[in-house]
Amino acid sequence: MKPVLVKPLLVKPLLARYGTAFAAVALFVFFAIAARNFLALGNLVGIAKHISHVAILGIGFSLALIAAELDLSFANVCSLAAVTTGVLVHRGIQPGLAVLAGIGVGLGFGLLNGLVVTLLKVPSLIATLAVAAIANGLAFMVTDGVSVVGRWPTGFTSLGRGEVFAVPALVWWMVTVSLAALFWLKQTRGGFRLVCTGENVEAARLAGLPVKRIKVVALTLSGGAAGLAAVLLTASLSSASATMAGDFLLTAIAAVMLGMTMFEPGHANIPGTLVGAFTIGMLGNGLVLLGAPYYVQDICLGCIIIGSVAVSASALTRAAFDV
Amino acid sequence: MALVDTMLALRGIGKSYGAIHALAGIDLDIAARDVIGICGDNGAGKSTLIRILSGAEQPSEGEISIDGQAIAIASPATALARGIATLYQDLALAPRLSIAQNIFMGAELLRGPPALGLLDHRRMRDAAAALLDRFGLGGLDMNRPVSDLSGGQRQAVALARALRGKARIVIMDEPTAALGVAESAEVLDLIRRLHGEGVTVLLVSHDMEDVMAVTSRVVILKKGRKAGEIETARTTARHLGEMIMSGVVG
Repeated sequence: MKPVLVKPLLVKPLLARYGTAFAAVALFVFFAIAARNFLALGNLVGIAKHISHVAILGIGFSLALIAAELDLSFANVCSLAAVTTGVLVHRGIQPGLAVLAGIGVGLGFGLLNGLVVTLLKVPSLIATLAVAAIANGLAFMVTDGVSVVGRWPTGFTSLGRGEVFAVPALVWWMVTVSLAALFWLKQTRGGFRLVCTGENVEAARLAGLPVKRIKVVALTLSGGAAGLAAVLLTASLSSASATMAGDFLLTAIAAVMLGMTMFEPGHANIPGTLVGAFTIGMLGNGLVLLGAPYYVQDICLGCIIIGSVAVSASALTRAAFDV
Repeated sequence: MALVDTMLALRGIGKSYGAIHALAGIDLDIAARDVIGICGDNGAGKSTLIRILSGAEQPSEGEISIDGQAIAIASPATALARGIATLYQDLALAPRLSIAQNIFMGAELLRGPPALGLLDHRRMRDAAAALLDRFGLGGLDMNRPVSDLSGGQRQAVALARALRGKARIVIMDEPTAALGVAESAEVLDLIRRLHGEGVTVLLVSHDMEDVMAVTSRVVILKKGRKAGEIETARTTARHLGEMIMSGVVG
């Protein structure tokens, strides 16, 4: 009897869609075997909590990318929103209002990005870098470069440190934001139009879509995600500083890029971003458990970004990275 | 002189890009239920004229009126709202999106309260299949991405999108350029059917045989200006070609 061979035609799309996810599973198995305590429940929950900020920021970045725009300001906007929230809480403002202010700062700077890109026609790469510089300056202005620390209301910190049904609040936030973004993109007219605009802006315009407004919405949502991540970061760490989210820039971008190599190859997508964030969190955690020096993580991040973009643009996915 | 039952009228339409005049002084009267050919060599201004009528670009000068009322076609959305649908030469499709998604881009079918904006995927798939049935493609999987389709099938998807609403005027820019003989015949047959249904069609084509087959009148553009117009019954494909080359109509 002839051996049954899997047709290459079937393997290729499978590899393109799920190859990176399989690699992530293989990495998980490797750390489970090689790193002691990796599989401990506390460690896995720790990874999930650690990546929640990255995932939320990454989802915001993904929304901008799906609309074919870049948002390189989210980390600085996140820091500014965090210090705004922190300063307001410490000045005795109701925590609820401070939270709204933090998210509002994110939305406001996202809107600013959108207006600069669509009205002033500044490419988003440049516009968001410039807005990042403005946010960074304002964050130092608000804090005088001093971290906001001290006693925080329990009602506020529980946003980041609490638990619901024995699951950390941060994980709930991450799951909720992911599901909301996924539902919006796949099941609603607004999300569908965002996808259309990113897929072919001219076709979307000729179909009567208000593409400028849609791009503004995408960048505003990215800012809003940065604002939410800022609140959760401040609540979970009980501190806020002008540079606190700086490290998340590369990490979140790497998560999104890694996510672009799976599920919808060559395109930013929410499940991919989530798996990308978890893979990066797992990699960092596993490396620490194996005793690797701290700088190895940065080297890995850089390699992940280059590798992911290369895979996205490769013949495997036939989808050029085009932003 | 304006026709008695003019539906769409253009007066002195011009379009300039800096010092370049892509279109100048175009006057045109189009009657309801007419099928007009718009012909011209490359650079004649056909695409610019189409983009102005479809709202993709604004004229630098001139006036457009529908049913005797001057209107501004400020955007493609305005054109669609006015009943002007356009099939673009490059088809303007999003390759990764499905057939149904491409057909209903900008005119999504919803379920539940409209304010929620929830997409009705099933209804869009069914309606897309019904629209494509006109081209014998109703059996296609409406979830297939457009990038998987042949040139003719993509053309059909773009046509289905142009015809999804209640268009009064359909503009077709080189609708048979990428098609084989049988598919081209289907498109021409569709134009005849649209005419029968009372739709006005503006056909831009380099294929003189196509123009001769379905139009009643041909407008010839030359270097951004209207060289003239002639009734199709009074000319031949070869004669049309000669007029396009020379810019002398008659």
